[in-house]
Amino acid sequence: MLSIKNLHASVEEKNIIKGLNLEIKPGEVHAIMGPNGAGKSTLGYVLSGRDGYEVSEGDVTLNGKDLLDLEVEERAREGLFLAFQYPVEIPGVSNMEFMKESVNAMREERGEEALTAAEFLKKAKEACKQVQLPLDFLKRGVNEGFSGGEKKRNEIMQMILLEPSLCILDESDSGLDVDALQVVANGVNSQRDGKRSFIVVTHYQRLLDYIKPDFVHILADGKIVKSGDASLAHEVEKEGYAFLGKAYEEAEA
Amino acid sequence: MSQWLQQVIDGAQCDDYLAPVRQQALTQLKADGWPARRNESWRFTPLTSVEKREAKTATQADVLPVPAIDNLNAIDLVFVDGVLITQVNTLDVPKGMVITSLKHDDVATQQAISSIYGQIKPTRHMFGLVNDALCEHGIFISVEENAKIDTPVRIVNMATQNVDAHTRVVVKVAKGASATVIEQGVGDTDSLTTAFAEYDIADDAHLEHYRFAMFTAAAKQLGGSHFKLHSRSTLNSTMVGYGSDLSRLDVDIHHAGEFADAKMNAIYLLAEGELFDLHSTIEHAMPNGTTEENARGIVGDKARAVFNGRIHIHRDAQKTLAELNNRNLLLSRRGVINTKPELEIYADDVKCAHGATVAEIDEEALYYLLTRGVPRSKALVMLNFGFIQELVNDVPNSAIREWLQPLLSERFSQMEVK
Repeated sequence: MLSIKNLHASVEEKNIIKGLNLEIKPGEVHAIMGPNGAGKSTLGYVLSGRDGYEVSEGDVTLNGKDLLDLEVEERAREGLFLAFQYPVEIPGVSNMEFMKESVNAMREERGEEALTAAEFLKKAKEACKQVQLPLDFLKRGVNEGFSGGEKKRNEIMQMILLEPSLCILDESDSGLDVDALQVVANGVNSQRDGKRSFIVVTHYQRLLDYIKPDFVHILADGKIVKSGDASLAHEVEKEGYAFLGKAYEEAEA
Repeated sequence: MSQWLQQVIDGAQCDDYLAPVRQQALTQLKADGWPARRNESWRFTPLTSVEKREAKTATQADVLPVPAIDNLNAIDLVFVDGVLITQVNTLDVPKGMVITSLKHDDVATQQAISSIYGQIKPTRHMFGLVNDALCEHGIFISVEENAKIDTPVRIVNMATQNVDAHTRVVVKVAKGASATVIEQGVGDTDSLTTAFAEYDIADDAHLEHYRFAMFTAAAKQLGGSHFKLHSRSTLNSTMVGYGSDLSRLDVDIHHAGEFADAKMNAIYLLAEGELFDLHSTIEHAMPNGTTEENARGIVGDKARAVFNGRIHIHRDAQKTLAELNNRNLLLSRRGVINTKPELEIYADDVKCAHGATVAEIDEEALYYLLTRGVPRSKALVMLNFGFIQELVNDVPNSAIREWLQPLLSERFSQMEVK
């Protein structure tokens, strides 16, 4: 469903992704781990089409479509969802208004009727319940005044509502206590249906105790340097990224 | 002297009861001449497109349907290319209000008009002087003492030919009376419209006022709305500017009595290479007056907005409460906003505030909305239209509010972001 071939990308003329290859089949969960500065978050931004992230080489297809040819909003409507590490606060735009617009854009893409206000509210309430967000969060400005954990849960709530085919979770575990981590993981696991695919970007193995990956990849210096099954994550947890060589240890420190 | 102004002066005829004002205007136009580029009043608004224009007015005009505002149920007075096409004497006017043409033989009416015509509008407005001298077609609206008129009166200027048009509105709202007046301008031809209005708002009277300066493209407009507020009178004015090759609106609010209250909201949405220039001057000459002015605009593409808001508090105007705020959103790197709030205070016991801001699009917030599949044009409206929407929500007339809401958000969503 997602195929990344020899991807090279830069930010402000600095090469960050340097020849990345990744194949993801429907229903698979791929974890991407790696030291700080390896390009983990950059990958999410590049795939989502963020301004300023220039692709200089390579191909990316999502469900057979050339992803790099699409605008940010078109990629989303093709089924790509990025859960942000640091979701932005947007005062003045209510979560509800935002999500209704968003859900209906997806429905329009699929040739479905727009939801009425009542139909949408019902769905939104269910999604909030799933991630234990109080209902009044729907009325508040997007992420406005939310705690770190509430922002992460709000991202998962959006994911549940939008029903994407590929979810990229960018450090969805950072800054969460164990309870909050459990809520986020449960939200994600509830969406695993054998078809939906996930890229779980994380610095620590901890999240992967809750969201079991099929594959674990180590990203270093813009490339995947090692791939394996879930046991690779435990290895990293125990040994650190030492096997990558001295340079990375220094980068870590 | 510009060719256009010379032709204006040469073509003026001063043979009616308004001759003294017309003569005076001509004398001042000759003395002042064409404004130099360094002239502060026109510093950001070049008049080159008028300078060498041929001064020519229409002698006749077609009767055209006016742009509809659903459920407004107003009395419509229509000028097409400067010619009044409404048969004023056939109008069904509510009791307590009189609407007549400025061409009037009745001496008492002439006197009432003369007491306002050119008396409220300050003489520093060059195009106001041109209008003083050349205006042939105009309207006089008089609201009798204590008459509460619910039916709005709408004056529409339509530009359909490539000519100049000079129209005038003179309004007298007598003691304790209230009325609603809407001035609207539309057209996109290579025209030049000077539409000026003067309002005398007597003690305890109330005026609800609108000015929709919606000329576009090559249609030039150089107009003004000027108000004199007497004791305890109130004014609530809403203005909307679209901008064209040259679009300038001068507003003067003169607190001539104590405890007068003025509220003015202005919205401008400018696209392409449009220019809109709003100059407002609030004169607090008497004590205990209040003014609240909010001007908010969005500038896209290569457009330019000019805002000059002056509040002048005279020595005797103690206990004045005045606020002036100008907020702008710049959508494009090539767009320009020149904003200048001015406070001049000679009284020591007053409360005044002024401020101006220019913001740009929050790219991070926009990106966030786009990653959720929200169409770009909708995302921009969601992020950036709120501060305009606030002023639309503030419009007292519900029919106008409901007309403006979709009109402005539609216009905004079509404004290109570059």
